[in-house]
Amino acid sequence: MNALALPVVLPLLAAFLVRPAGLASGSLARWFGPLVLLLCAGMLVDTALLTHGQPVSANIGGFAPPLGIVFYADSLALLFAIAVPAFALLLWPREAMQAGGDRISALMLLLVGSGTGMALSGDLFNLYVFYELLAVASFGLVASSGSARAWAATVRYLLISGFGSVLALVGVALIYAQTGTLNLAQLSEFAPERLANPLGLAAFACLLIGFGVKAELFPVNAWVPEVYATAPKRVSALLAGVVSKLAILVVLRLILLVFDLPEARQSLLVLGLIGLVSGELAAWRARDLPRMLAFSSIGQLGLLFMAVSIPGVLGLIAALAVALHHLLMKPALFLLAERWSGGLENLAGAGRKAPLAAGLFTLFALSLLGVPPLPGFWAKLVLLLGLGQQDAVLAQAAIFGVLLMAVVEAHYLFRLVGLLYAKTAHGAPPHRMGDLAVASLLGAILVASMPLLPALAQGLGWMAHQASDVAAYRAVTLGSTIPGVAP
Amino acid sequence: MNPPDLITILISGGIGLVAIGAVGMAVSRHLLRLVLALAIAEAGANLLLVLAGYRWDAVAPILTGATVTRPMVDPVPQALVLTAIVIGVGVQALAVALLIRVKEAYGTLDIRELKTRVEQEICGAAGIAPPESANKPGGGQPYPVPVTTSRESA
Amino acid sequence: MHKLASLLFAIGLAALLIGLAAQLPLGMTPMVVGQAILEQAPGETGSANIVTSVVLAYRGIDTLGELAILFAAATVAGLVLAPSIHAESRLRAKPRHDAGLVLRAGSDLLFPLLLSVGFYIVLHGHLTPGGGFQGGVVLAAAFFVSFLARPARQPSHVGIVLIEALAGASFIGIGLAALLGGGAFLQPVLDKGTLGQLVSAGSLPLLYLAVGLKVGAELSGLLAHLAE
Repeated sequence: MNALALPVVLPLLAAFLVRPAGLASGSLARWFGPLVLLLCAGMLVDTALLTHGQPVSANIGGFAPPLGIVFYADSLALLFAIAVPAFALLLWPREAMQAGGDRISALMLLLVGSGTGMALSGDLFNLYVFYELLAVASFGLVASSGSARAWAATVRYLLISGFGSVLALVGVALIYAQTGTLNLAQLSEFAPERLANPLGLAAFACLLIGFGVKAELFPVNAWVPEVYATAPKRVSALLAGVVSKLAILVVLRLILLVFDLPEARQSLLVLGLIGLVSGELAAWRARDLPRMLAFSSIGQLGLLFMAVSIPGVLGLIAALAVALHHLLMKPALFLLAERWSGGLENLAGAGRKAPLAAGLFTLFALSLLGVPPLPGFWAKLVLLLGLGQQDAVLAQAAIFGVLLMAVVEAHYLFRLVGLLYAKTAHGAPPHRMGDLAVASLLGAILVASMPLLPALAQGLGWMAHQASDVAAYRAVTLGSTIPGVAP
Repeated sequence: MNPPDLITILISGGIGLVAIGAVGMAVSRHLLRLVLALAIAEAGANLLLVLAGYRWDAVAPILTGATVTRPMVDPVPQALVLTAIVIGVGVQALAVALLIRVKEAYGTLDIRELKTRVEQEICGAAGIAPPESANKPGGGQPYPVPVTTSRESA
Repeated sequence: MHKLASLLFAIGLAALLIGLAAQLPLGMTPMVVGQAILEQAPGETGSANIVTSVVLAYRGIDTLGELAILFAAATVAGLVLAPSIHAESRLRAKPRHDAGLVLRAGSDLLFPLLLSVGFYIVLHGHLTPGGGFQGGVVLAAAFFVSFLARPARQPSHVGIVLIEALAGASFIGIGLAALLGGGAFLQPVLDKGTLGQLVSAGSLPLLYLAVGLKVGAELSGLLAHLAE
């Protein structure tokens, strides 16, 4: 499966070439990026169909791992890898289609290349490199709104992210000094002997904080409200929806393969719980929609970290369910917030002017809350079941925290929905057709998934079994036999 | 000085640089100093990374044609550090470019002042009253005039 | 109070790291991947400098990512510093004067020297310490010295854009050529030659040349944007 490298490399190649293309012809540069993304998404879907979801690997440079870098694609990795170009296409910034948008196009392509790389890579330092590329590209996209406050917010984002990178680098150094390898499969062999000690835990903490910056993890999420309030809304949607999931995917792989320690899981649970409580309380106090969504995103990702902390297949299913639900939800909410960015009290009666937008918003709010027939309910239920499985006091406290925060969430979301349908005049501009179309598409997927829930649950369970199979990961990446590939 | 002592010194140097950078990032208020502190911490992390493959009895991993009598050091961390240094340079150059624009727009690089200004702007754009500043002196007193030393204004 | 707390935090961090480092087997760390690479690299890549083998062959996609990061940083700097009305009026108000005779003559003298040193370092990357990154920085310095001496003579933005695009594309192109030839992406191709010769190590010197030009162009672009 040497072609597995292509969906990562082609966007980078296109990014290098998009500016000279812009010098030659403006319309060529405009359509170049989306076409390449379409091609990449097609190739990834093709890989998924060809392998029937069985894991495959590709040795980059033709060197057998652990010497060279290896890409590993199981159904989990492919799912997120496909999500990156797909959501980038849906949320392609409007500025990139205007004259002089070739720089923004290039940054979007770099974001997609690095994001796909993060989903596929099976090498610790390679993950770090792609993560840094993702970070630099997202700085540029946040700053691309061109306002002074966006630049100031980007500087803060850059400093926090840079500090996280330093810690991640220290974590890589600690791991390499202990084991002498960076390949995740080989690390999983060495881990019980060489990394199940205080040094290993410290390395995990460093990597967690480092990768946690993008996943809005508790101590390093101070950038979130400012950036989401100042960046273009499509960029906010991309950062909160897709980029945060990729960072969590890396943490999930690390905890599955390398750091399968109870202490590591406990720290995730505690940090996730703090994130959930602080995020939801701040969202409750927020007075404008973009920042309310930003804080609620911190809370939702805290919930996701708690799901990741649950051991076993049930925890993985919970994590996947919460992650996919949030992946659909957050971009749509940010798109709807584009024209409703004023203070909350200014939104009174906005729903009567824009019934479709308000209807979608209500649907998403109900699912976010976990009102029974909607998918959000099942995601929260699996999470609570997973937490309830454990006897520890911490897990009991976490269940209590989740339920309490659901009440807080209900209060501010219902207050907002009530405001939308209030009987007062409202003068907000109507939503753009493109934004509404994308939000409706995501809402339709959400509704369509309801009758398919049994099949969906079965699929997630199968995916979770596959992802938690460490022996298969080792066999596919390190072993010579590649099972299940139809020639 | 025998070689293992040298390693101790180098390691404490790496850790010290990371710690100095961390203190700098926690204490400084000026954005340029924050960027410099980040650069120092990064240098420390790079030093730690290259030390992860260091062996005091070994030579550089380059074949010179002569018969090899001593073992060579691990080449992988050296390649990793090369990558990490270049990444650091790119991020710092980007930070400086942003600082130029922020200074042009706000006339200050003080992080707390910027935070207040950005907060005011965001609230202003949203059409809501900005929140009470946490640094505001009590008793309805006016803000003190900001003290700018000649060094900072230069 | 805030400063005291952060001081305590940093002291705690340092103490923690020192405590951890004391447990590390430093100076005799386990060489797992490194040992295997030291044994196999000369035969597999034909490069005398084993670090170069790691950078370009074993971890070639890291290097591609790194080039992309430099490219992204230069792109963002260009996006943020794109000349606004504000900046243009300032430029017009303050015309740039050339430096004095000594500096101009010095830069004329240094320019060819720096260029040849830069290319020497790039092209000998597979034999001696150095390579595309180090040489690329020297190349960028050559252009920047002459820019400092004559600020009025702007470096050509179109030229920089073309060089950075073509250099980056040729790095990926060499990798794709190996893929199309039935190998893996970035697999070393071409004849490995004799170890230690200038023309040896197959495609690695070509990759390093692309890296050198790319790094040189990105850094020149970044510096030119910052200087404006």
